[in-house]
Amino acid sequence: MFKNILHTEWLKVKNYRAFWLLLSVTAISYPGINTIFYLSYDEVTNPKGTGARAKMAKLLLGNPFKYPEVLHTTAFLSSFFTFIPAIVIIMLITNEYMFKTHRQNIIDGWKKSSFIWGKFISVVLVTLIVTFFYVIVAFSLGNMVSDTAAKEKMFEQVNYIPLFALQVFAQLSIAFFMGLIIRKAFIAYGIYIFYSFIAENILGGFLKWKSKTYGFDYGQFLPFEMSDRLIPIPGFLGKFNEVDYKLSLAAVDKHIVYTLILTTIVWLFSFYIFKRKDL
Amino acid sequence: MPVLEINNIHKSYGKIKALNGVSFSVPEGSVFGILGPNGSGKTTLLSIILDVLQADAGSYLWFGEPPSNEQRKRIGSLLETPNLYHYLSAVQNLRVTKSISGRGSIEAIEAVLEKVKLYERRNSRFSTYSLGMKQRLAIAAALLGSPTVLVLDEPTNGLDPVGIAEIRELIKTLAKDGHTIIMASHLLDEVEKVCDHVAILKKGELIASGTVEQVLSDEDCFLISASDSDALYELMSDYPGLIRKKQTPEGLELYFSKAEIAPANINEFCFQKGIVLDQLTIKKKRLEEKFFELTGGLHQ
Repeated sequence: MFKNILHTEWLKVKNYRAFWLLLSVTAISYPGINTIFYLSYDEVTNPKGTGARAKMAKLLLGNPFKYPEVLHTTAFLSSFFTFIPAIVIIMLITNEYMFKTHRQNIIDGWKKSSFIWGKFISVVLVTLIVTFFYVIVAFSLGNMVSDTAAKEKMFEQVNYIPLFALQVFAQLSIAFFMGLIIRKAFIAYGIYIFYSFIAENILGGFLKWKSKTYGFDYGQFLPFEMSDRLIPIPGFLGKFNEVDYKLSLAAVDKHIVYTLILTTIVWLFSFYIFKRKDL
Repeated sequence: MPVLEINNIHKSYGKIKALNGVSFSVPEGSVFGILGPNGSGKTTLLSIILDVLQADAGSYLWFGEPPSNEQRKRIGSLLETPNLYHYLSAVQNLRVTKSISGRGSIEAIEAVLEKVKLYERRNSRFSTYSLGMKQRLAIAAALLGSPTVLVLDEPTNGLDPVGIAEIRELIKTLAKDGHTIIMASHLLDEVEKVCDHVAILKKGELIASGTVEQVLSDEDCFLISASDSDALYELMSDYPGLIRKKQTPEGLELYFSKAEIAPANINEFCFQKGIVLDQLTIKKKRLEEKFFELTGGLHQ
């Protein structure tokens, strides 16, 4: 069954230019943002002539683009661009509504669950593709910047690869769910971007600020925040607030569990809704 | 065994009753027309039997069995509008259909595109097609792999007169080859020309169903006239078995139960009573007339 679903989904996207275009944009954005940050770092820590200041900066920041930190740093920076594959996923589901092919797929002989499985597989595949982009960028930068001593620590933080993949999968799953419910492409894009970039950050900041009053940070349960915290702010930025940094590293395991629970609920809901609703 | 049995299907959209206890069955090998004005529930009914809408109550059986997705693979369907991927070509779209339904092959895709006259444009994207071409591609998708049953919702939508005639011929050929065809339409003419069975829906209620013969002529109608029409009118009032009569400019219309009266009986009766008929014809009702009569349009 899954082979047939995978084959069909492949036929749907194989000749879909917008799909490949957006994946290419993702492929460019990851090395783009990481290179920009690397060059800025290089500029601050390596200006000719002002050796003392550069040394200070280096001491303070460490080298986030050397092994092993580079896997963490690039995961964090790349995660800002998850909204591009999210648009891809929203497009894949809202297209079906627009062309009414969600009906035709059922009419032609799919179970309703097969249709959702198709989108589940697409989300998994897009996650794997963008994780691959991230891995390439992380190791390329790492190899370029690291000296021999650092290279020995190459695989020390490879745990960021599955964490990055889980974060992307969780956030793309929410994007899919929004597309499934909202049905209209541009409204779904708008709500996704407004919510994930603006609304949740404001709400998260507010809840964090209020956490002293409430005695608990409820912001950690916001849908995107749950998986955002899988990849805490990297060490060099974390140095400005050592206590928070350590706390956020310690909370990662907890957030793996939260994210898995939320993502499971999102997919169970998707199957349930599609099965029960008139198409 | 009927190909499709529909039992007491109900469906509401909020307060609006789209279907209200519809039941009928479709015999194997028939060309079954579902006829009704716009908004009578035709598409809703087809959507239910294709599992894209859920009935509030009632049930249906395909091939004598409860519905499943495996059965739908054996049914070629076109529902409401051509539902295809706009960014894919005809061939690419039909590959998706083939992948999901398991019907057809690469050669079958080419053959079916030739059949609907899209072969030349097979590699153009769907979004570049005219309305008629889109409709023909949707028909091609339904025909792919020669399924035993076809469900076609308004199949001639958007087609030009030549296209309509071609589809009509295609349906007749398919029926001759033993396919069962279930077709919804608001075009009476179309149904009359190709269907052998018909079900008529009005505001979600089934108001007639059976063979076209049965539905069309549950009554016989004779048209008679004589020089003294008033006397004829008077005379015929007593005729045994007469259901109703109606004076029209062409003459007097007499309605009887089907096959009860032969024209010769009427002629003989009038002659004996001293009236010589100068016209006696059997009037075959056209589906249109029956349709208006049943659905309460135009004449009432």
